[in-house]
This record gives sequence, C-alpha cells and structure tokens, in this order.
Amino acid sequence: MGDIVVLLKPALNPEMIRGTPEGSVDFDYMPLKLSDIDRNAVEEAVRIRDQYLKGSKIYSISVATWGPVAKRDKDIKMAVQEGLAKGVDEAYIVEDDLITPGDQVTTASAIVAVLRKFNIKPDIILAGEATIDGFSGQVAGRVAAKLDLPYVSFARKIDIKGNTLVAERDVEDYVEVVEAPLPAVVSVTREINSPRPPTLIQIRMASRKPQHVVKLSDLSDVVTPKKKLSAARVLAVKRKQVMIEGKTLEETADKLIDALVSEGVIKA
Amino acid sequence: MASSLVVGGSEDDIAEALTIARQLGSVHIVAYGNVNAASLAEYGHIVYHIAQDDPESIFKAVKEIYDQVKPSLVVALTSKNLKDALSRLAGLYDLPMATEVFNVKLSGDQVSYTRGFLSGRALEDDVVPLPAVLLLAARKTPKAQKSQSKGDVKELTVTPSIKVVERRPKERGGVNIEAAEIIVSVGRGFRSKDDLKLAFDLAEVLNAQIGCSRPVAADLKWLSEDHWVGLSGHKVAPKLYMAIGISGAPQHLAGITDAKLVVAINNDKSAPIFKNCDYGVVADLYQFVPVLTKRLRERLHK
Repeated sequence: MGDIVVLLKPALNPEMIRGTPEGSVDFDYMPLKLSDIDRNAVEEAVRIRDQYLKGSKIYSISVATWGPVAKRDKDIKMAVQEGLAKGVDEAYIVEDDLITPGDQVTTASAIVAVLRKFNIKPDIILAGEATIDGFSGQVAGRVAAKLDLPYVSFARKIDIKGNTLVAERDVEDYVEVVEAPLPAVVSVTREINSPRPPTLIQIRMASRKPQHVVKLSDLSDVVTPKKKLSAARVLAVKRKQVMIEGKTLEETADKLIDALVSEGVIKA
Repeated sequence: MASSLVVGGSEDDIAEALTIARQLGSVHIVAYGNVNAASLAEYGHIVYHIAQDDPESIFKAVKEIYDQVKPSLVVALTSKNLKDALSRLAGLYDLPMATEVFNVKLSGDQVSYTRGFLSGRALEDDVVPLPAVLLLAARKTPKAQKSQSKGDVKELTVTPSIKVVERRPKERGGVNIEAAEIIVSVGRGFRSKDDLKLAFDLAEVLNAQIGCSRPVAADLKWLSEDHWVGLSGHKVAPKLYMAIGISGAPQHLAGITDAKLVVAINNDKSAPIFKNCDYGVVADLYQFVPVLTKRLRERLHK
C-alpha cells in the first residue's frame, strides 16, 4: 500500500504585513503561518486515508523559503505541527539558510530530493492550489513533472476507484471530471472541503510525532535559488475610513448619498 | 540567436505575449483549442496548433516545440490551464517561472518583472536568469501588430495520459465584472439567495453590476463564478465598489485594491472591511439597503 504525502508551506502571513518608513516590506516583522489552502490539502489527505487507503501513512514535506532559519524556526515548526495535529503522521522539514529566500525551482527540487533520500513512495501527493504569500501555484506541477507523474490541478472533489484517481477539477473555462492512474500529484482548491480544527488531544499528540529536520547537505540535486528578489514594497491603498451615522436610516442614507455625489461617483 | 515561444488559446492573448517575445528575436507560437490559426499566421511567425485545450495536452505540445527550439523565454498570459501546463515545463527543466507579471524588461541573459505579492498587499520586483517562463498579467501589455509576411501553420497531435470523462462549461452569468464601473457586491451577511433581491434592486438604481465574495459563488453557489471578486476570483477596478454584508477577508480585499471608492455596509462594526473602505455604515443590511435604494431612486430619478 502506497502512502500519502502532503506539501505544507510555512508562508508569510499577509495579514501581518508591515512596511519600513521607506515603504519596503519589513520581512523581519512578518511571521510565518501554515498557508491557508494547505489546510484543505491535509484535510483531504486524512479523508482519503480513512476512506480509501486505510493503513497508509501520511507524510508532510515542508521547505523553509523564508530565513534566517534560526529566527524562523519556531514559526516553521508551529506550521508543520498544525499538519501533525490534523492527522499527518511524520513531517520532513528542509531548513537551511543556503536556500533562503527560496524560490519554486528550489522548493520543488528539495521536495523531490526528500522523497528520494527517505525512500517515500506515495500513491498520492497533495498540495494547495497556491500559497498565500507567492500565489503562483506552480510547485505541485513542478513536482509532478520531475517525478514523471500525472498531475491533476485545481481539484475540488477526489474519489479513488481501485488504482485510479477520479477528480472534479476547476480549470479555466470548464469543470472537468478526469481519471488519472495512481500514483499522481493533485492540487486542491478551497472548495474541496471544510477543514476541521484539530481537537485538544490531537494538538497534544502532535508534539510527540516525528519532525525530521533536513539540511541541504543531507540531500542531492537541490537547485539553489535562481530568483533574486530585488525589492518588495507595500502597496499602500489609503482608504478614508469615514464612518457615516444618522439619527434615522433615512438620514444615514442621505449622508452616504451626499458623500458619493461629492466624490463624483454618482450624480444626484 | 535567441528565440522565444508564445503560448495561448486566443488571438488577443497571443498578441499581448508577442509584444514581449519579439524583443528576443525569432518567435514560435503554440496555439491551442478553438483559435483561428490562419489569422494567427498573419503575425508572421510559425504557428503550431493543437485542437485540444486541456492542460496536459498543452504541456505535451509545448514540451515538443520547446525541445526543438530551445527558446530563451516562454511567454503567455496567466490562466489556470497555463499555470498547470507551464509549471510542468518549468519543473522539468528547472526554469524560473512567475505568474501575473508586468513591467517585463529583458536585458542580456536575464529578465526582470514586477508582480503582486502577499495576497495583493505588496509588489515584488524580481530578476531571473534566462531561460525562464513568464505568465503575464492580462491587459497590461499592448498588443503586437500583424506582419507583412505570413507564417506557416502546423498541426500537432498529442496523447494525454489523463482521461477527461466529462466536461461542462462553467455557468456564466454574462457578466464582465472586471470592466464594471459600479459594483454592488454581496457576502455572507445575506441569509438566503432570495434576499439578494435587495442588492439587485440597489444595483438596478445605480446601473451597477453584481459582485460577490468567495462563499457566495464557490460554496453556496447563489451566483455564478464570474461574479466572484477576490484573489481566486476576479480583480476589479470600478469607480464605486459597495460591499454589502462582506466582512473583508484578505483574499477579497486583494481583489478590490484598484477600486477608486469603497463603501462598506455591515452590521459588525469590527469587520475588517471598515478598515479598508472610504465610507462605512454600521447597520443591518436588511433594514438599511431598502432605505438606501429608495432614497437613491428618489434623488437620482426625481
């Protein structure tokens, strides 16, 4: 019986964005968290294990892309631990300042290197459709190509029939139902399930599950970052934040309409 | 000599990508699906066409031509099909790839670009070595002109290993929300699909299009996905955006950063949308929206 791998990214939390006085993104102040859509991927991994692949193990693989590792280590482990609490059995984390800040070329090659090094042979590799920080949605496709496995992107429903994965996927102009032979790589959208928060017992158990920290020197064929981030600036959308209140709803409505007229967006 | 490969499923998309591609000398085009290949030949480059338009077929066709041409740049417009197809090509050859890019500048053996980052709250400027894969943000690059000389059209055939068992076109509400001047947008504050009538009435008075947040389109399916405003839905740039019963999740806010004026109506005064609006009204939408509609009707059409 093959196992399940889920890709989990400790991502920069966009809600905690801070800028320097010059308007650059102040990365030092931005914490990491488990990328939102990856939660759906873990939930689906657990469901598939319970429903179709009983006895399988669920591994997670994470690659730290934001450094320095010493400073980020706690955030990275917390993100990975969330996966463990939700049902992952064993976690692999590639943490090395030689590959931070990382890019998708590095991340995909490191994931494949971990699979090879630790002889993990999954039936299915799950990932979120994109991460909340970069949102380019390319790591799962890269992993599939490197492993020469079928790739089903943007899945919002997954069934397993024997040795075949049946998925409903949301591509550009169509909803497609596709069949792919296992093993396969699948990226999921938020619509696939509603992730349940882990129970207290699960959270307590998670700290006892194995987390294997892997250095670049443990792996072979990891490509170091090609992308140079030359600048990142906070997009300042300045909204007026004027609250409108009236004694009656009519008065409030009139005040709002007056504001819209003076802004020139409606004519009344 | 350096060359580039353009991939696309429509003439407009290909014409935008060509503007970037032509800076690198010779160009080859891979066109897929129901596109007029003869018309594409008028741009003066070799056109390889495949009839299929599923991501795996596109990947296989692009790989075949990539292996022949060995281009310095693969360029296309961002779409789900191409994120899938070209991420595989990028993975196979460890090429850098970026989506939704603009301000593309080629110099020597590298390319720089700008793209949205952190759920649309920041912009990043990157430099990557060639060869690279770039998926452009739509409508930010002028279209290339057609040429005097005509290119050849060659049909390609590929056999995907993923079987498509069923395919249904996405339901379209006939809305082009990205081009709308005024948008009345609805969220989970509405308790039922029928209640959306309150927003439709307001939209009619304002001559507005109807938008919605993710759950309304994706989970509840009260509206088709072409109404969906946000990071995974559509990015909008109206002069007036009215968010009704929308709390303002980061993914939603990322979709409205280009709106000129944002008005929020919500009964929860701590909703994040109020920190991201120009004018805010804390009120029960069921009471306030009908009054607003009535007063607007009186004042706009007296």
